[in-house]
Amino acid sequence: MWSYDKRLQFPVKIKNPDPQAAKIVITQLGGPDGELGASMRYLNQRYAMPYKEGKGILTDIGTEELAHLEMVSAIVYQLTRNLTPEQIKESGFDTYFVDHTTGIYPQFASGTPWSAMTFQSKGDPITDLFEDMAADAAPA
Amino acid sequence: MTEREKLLNRVRMYDFALVDVIEYLDGHPKNTAALAYYSKMRTAFDKAAAEYEDAFGPLTAREVDTRTGSWRWIDNPWPWEGADN
Repeated sequence: MWSYDKRLQFPVKIKNPDPQAAKIVITQLGGPDGELGASMRYLNQRYAMPYKEGKGILTDIGTEELAHLEMVSAIVYQLTRNLTPEQIKESGFDTYFVDHTTGIYPQFASGTPWSAMTFQSKGDPITDLFEDMAADAAPA
Repeated sequence: MTEREKLLNRVRMYDFALVDVIEYLDGHPKNTAALAYYSKMRTAFDKAAAEYEDAFGPLTAREVDTRTGSWRWIDNPWPWEGADN
């Protein structure tokens, strides 16, 4: 099971909205190398891990990725507060806004929704660890 | 920096040290230096968290003081709102 700490792992305090930046940053939430995929990767792969050290690491890193997810979500949330219709149109944020308004939705920068197809879980720890190395060599 | 930020940043600092050493210990469970560091950081974290919670309310839903007569867990601000936390 899990429990929640009511604080961010690192503070996020953004004064000025920037919807153009939000459109890019959202990929770190729900993109192919984003935090949601990272968390799901480790938390799903752990069941195939035979060694206690690996079970611990996959559980704790998968959990930490959720804390990263929350920070990125907070960034997107704060970047898109108090927008005017002009800001939404001029920034190009209108293509996101038409689907979600300013709701936080895990998607790629390109608009593709987050997908479990961005990671693997093969039931073989060596195969999974290689997949983890490839994933964490990406900017995640 | 507000008092709230100051206390919360101390909680975060010790928590970050804990997250790091916990993941290290997962892979090196008999490392005596890491075990000692974990113990030291946990003591510091517990103290910092208690100080914050006494002043600004619960960090977890299991640390709510019901003597206030109110369910303070839900009190604003929530972490993503950018007000000191």
